[in-house]
Amino acid sequence: MKKFTIAIALFAFIFLTSCKVQKEGIVIMTDHSYKATLFATNKIGIGSPDGLLWHKGKLYFADEGGVALESWNRNEGLKKLADANVGFLSPEDLVIDAQDNIFFTDDDAGGLWEYTADGKLREVATKDKGLISTEGIALARDGSLLVGDGEQHEVFRVTRDGDVTEFLGKEAGITKPESMVFDEQGNLYIADNEDNVLYLLDTNRKLHRIIDRNDSFSPETIYYSKGSLYITDSRSGKLYVYTPGEEMKTIAAFGGQLKNVQGVTVDDQGNVFVSVQSDLKHKVGNIIEISKEETQVAKK
Amino acid sequence: MATSALIPLILASLTGGLSDLNDKLLLLLNSAAGRSWLFDSIVAFFLDNDLAKAGVIGCCFLAAWYGGKSTNSTNARRKVLIATLIAAVCVITTTKVLSKTIFLPRPEIQSQKIYRLEGEQLVEMKRMPVRFMLDEESQKNYRALLSGDVETNDLGSFPSDHAGFFFAIALGIWLASRRLGWLALSWTVVVIMGGKMISAQHTPLDIAAGATVAIVELSLVQFVLRKRFSGLLEKLASLTLRYSALSSAIVFLVAFEVSSTMIHIRAFLGLLAAMRRHVLLGMG
Repeated sequence: MKKFTIAIALFAFIFLTSCKVQKEGIVIMTDHSYKATLFATNKIGIGSPDGLLWHKGKLYFADEGGVALESWNRNEGLKKLADANVGFLSPEDLVIDAQDNIFFTDDDAGGLWEYTADGKLREVATKDKGLISTEGIALARDGSLLVGDGEQHEVFRVTRDGDVTEFLGKEAGITKPESMVFDEQGNLYIADNEDNVLYLLDTNRKLHRIIDRNDSFSPETIYYSKGSLYITDSRSGKLYVYTPGEEMKTIAAFGGQLKNVQGVTVDDQGNVFVSVQSDLKHKVGNIIEISKEETQVAKK
Repeated sequence: MATSALIPLILASLTGGLSDLNDKLLLLLNSAAGRSWLFDSIVAFFLDNDLAKAGVIGCCFLAAWYGGKSTNSTNARRKVLIATLIAAVCVITTTKVLSKTIFLPRPEIQSQKIYRLEGEQLVEMKRMPVRFMLDEESQKNYRALLSGDVETNDLGSFPSDHAGFFFAIALGIWLASRRLGWLALSWTVVVIMGGKMISAQHTPLDIAAGATVAIVELSLVQFVLRKRFSGLLEKLASLTLRYSALSSAIVFLVAFEVSSTMIHIRAFLGLLAAMRRHVLLGMG
């Protein structure tokens, strides 16, 4: 009887404390002029991507869950460019130069990695040079790369030869430069998802805190396109658009298994693509396309 | 052959009809919202203020507990009320588990453009043209909704756990004392459930489902306890008479929790869940 009572109590304890949050996935369009489409799932071969980038008709993935660098287009499907065998552990963010060389960061292995246009992989700068946990990456006009480091709390400039110099030191106060992007004037946007601040470093090297809302904003990835900055927020599961001089607007909110939004990119037609890490450990990821609804006039 | 083909058609037609009726009823009740600040503020007050919302039910429970005209009648009432409390816990567990399993956002959330993941595609859900209340709290929630701030709790509205819980308690009071029971039932239907529908937090179907769970589980618990555990129930009731001071203290705590919609017990369960995650499963 005693054992039975203990068993019942244990069962009740586990049952009452086991109510999990919903496994459903939803997207709420706060801007009704947009629509959402599930663009890609694990079925195309991706793992759980973080960084995303459209470049010359191809979508490139820094696949954190799948530990690979991949590209995809409609004709060729998914192509694995490089994988874990070469030493990187957790591809984070990526940029591509005009010659189609791909540069990516790794927040676990550190360093700056390059996959050249002719298909060779090399580590441009290693952990030994101070790039311990590399996060955001931006391509400067002079061809060098700016790399944010979450452990060092600094932004470094890395030349193609692998020379590393300090670009923004600790005194700048950026705790985790998670994502970075230049606008067409050469201003640098920096997303800090630990202090939950969006910075702007202007061309006079003056740093501005342009969005600073600790309680409800945590910028994960930023992407600049045609005068607007697209921002994902993995903490609250949102996609924002910020246009200088205007209020930041929420385009969509993501919930359930689609909440963990990571990378963001925009294609030539202005469609926004967001990577969602539904379950990084089990390599479950999705790519969601957020595009403008066709108006009645456009349909006609 | 023809009959087997007809059954799905009839079922689909019935489901469609019920869904239409549900939507029409909700929109009819919700049409009262968003017209008068005063009316909306009164409705919101009874929804948000635990004392105003559930205090009446708690008082009815206490009155039924102490209100027997003789020892025998008090004893009989207490047996019913003890069984009611056990049933109410079962009801809230069932409705919570169901609402976390069945994905159905609150009607107010469905007023937005929502896509739901169904297999390999995002499907746009039907939109509910609901009206929003004009009081300060509702407007704050509306602005949060427009910014995409939605609580996980708002994504599972079927069945209504409020309806289940308060119907179970009110029906139990009705079984113990008709007069107090009618008051508790009327308050549950008009004030608590009415407010939930006017504010578009629940549809009539959510509430009917919650009430059905309450009726079924209350009947079942009352039946099982009386048939199988009548001795235990009798002993518990007589103990409350023998140790009246202690039982009064416990009943006060119960009435307090009923009046606060079990918010403190839920917080305690949350703590247990955290303990289970951190200690038993070793998660940091």
